[in-house]
Amino acid sequence: MIGDTLLLQVAAVTDIAPGLRHLRLVAADGGKLPPAAAGAHVQFVLEGAARTWRNAYSLVSRPGARDAWEIIVRRVPASRGGSAFIHEQLEVGDRLLAGWPGNLFAPVRIARHHLMIAGGIGITPFLSYLAEFGFTGAGHALHVCCRESEKDVFAPWLGSSPAVAFHWDADGHRLDIPALLASQPAGTHLYVCGPAAMNDEVMAAAAVAGWPASHVHCEHFGSALFGGEAFRAFLVRSGIELEVAEDESLLDAIERAGVAAPCLCRGGACGVCVTPLLEGEAEHRDHFLSADERAAGRLIMPCVSRARAGRLVLDL
Amino acid sequence: MLHSDIKSRPTYRALEPDLAAAGHLLVIEAATLQPGGLAGLADAFAPVVANLHTWLVGEALAAPGLGKPWHLPAVADVVDALACATRGYGIGDRLYVQGTEPFLWSVATAAAIVGFGPGQLQLCHAGSLQRRVWCTHCHGVTEQVTTNVVPCAGCGRHLLVRDHFSRRLGAFMGVMVDAEAPGEIPAIEEVFA
Repeated sequence: MIGDTLLLQVAAVTDIAPGLRHLRLVAADGGKLPPAAAGAHVQFVLEGAARTWRNAYSLVSRPGARDAWEIIVRRVPASRGGSAFIHEQLEVGDRLLAGWPGNLFAPVRIARHHLMIAGGIGITPFLSYLAEFGFTGAGHALHVCCRESEKDVFAPWLGSSPAVAFHWDADGHRLDIPALLASQPAGTHLYVCGPAAMNDEVMAAAAVAGWPASHVHCEHFGSALFGGEAFRAFLVRSGIELEVAEDESLLDAIERAGVAAPCLCRGGACGVCVTPLLEGEAEHRDHFLSADERAAGRLIMPCVSRARAGRLVLDL
Repeated sequence: MLHSDIKSRPTYRALEPDLAAAGHLLVIEAATLQPGGLAGLADAFAPVVANLHTWLVGEALAAPGLGKPWHLPAVADVVDALACATRGYGIGDRLYVQGTEPFLWSVATAAAIVGFGPGQLQLCHAGSLQRRVWCTHCHGVTEQVTTNVVPCAGCGRHLLVRDHFSRRLGAFMGVMVDAEAPGEIPAIEEVFA
């Protein structure tokens, strides 16, 4: 984690829909929190009985708010367990550690128009975007692809804005991504946050429609990144042999062993945790290393990537 | 003089259509064309000719193979045409510009105002090395500068023409050459012909 940690206290817990929990968190000492800009996320330390999770969630509170941070967490059945902990264990008054806000998905200030596409719970970073655009007056449109039953869940954040459209999987309601991307004016920036398959589809459609890469922004999320076969790793500088379980990341195992590894997003995006790989073959699951770097096989991002086979030896 | 140790000095390359783009606008300063230059551009842009618009600025040359060219008298008309375009430009469009540096950057800054990002823009230098110079003292602009030292059109100071370049102004910086020793003007040479 970068910087000091903050001690937070759960001020309110609200189930806004089945499987969707809204948390309001304040500084445990009653003071002010660091401000965060639109698109920011915070990494939370979730202390379960048997294990500790470190999960990053987008802030949905108003950008710049210092009295409280708000997050919305979807319970993911087949996940590492952090979201289940939030849904089942966390109560009002509980205290938890958090990092300072990070932001890998800030809106581009010079954009002439902001086009946002959200898939499911990927709407969360855009809730803070909307608060900012409402303040600055920047032109924008948000397209949300979700279950029909969940289209009203976010109404408290969206109001009745004509700039927000909902799409779901039924005839006449699906989002025509190629048509949407083909009709955008020069100076538009595109942001997409959703499941990996949707992100990939939008990014590919943008390339086909001639969008310059500089104007396309993607934030990945999702439990699909985590877990896999158990494997062993050896940390050369620390002299520690690790057993990485099926349901934890290499970074989780490193932290469990008491080794402080730098990290920020825990989702394979920021590159802060990149570590020299001395032996072994990695299964790269990040969005940071270039194709050449992957092929060279000398670097790994332990927050998401795992061993393809055998044991990994890290310079850590 | 197209290369410098000064990092802000822009570099240029030959125009090459971006095959992924939706529409292509090619703006050429006609006076800078070499013999066969238009034919070379027609070859390069042949794969995208169906979605190509060409604006020829200055002389009304025939431009076979470059779509139906539109002739504009001067770069000021290009700036007006971009600013007043009834058809908005799309994020999938690309703009290609060829000419002298003052021409390139006049078009580039006008395009940026209507939303073209750096990734949608290609600039190719052709013709004279003449520079637009911005006086760091009076903020006046001196056009068509071909010498290392030039009297400022705004304040009359003798300006040393530097390689420092402002993309916002589309101009090179000019600083008073005899500020330390008034009246000591170095030999004036034509270096940007």
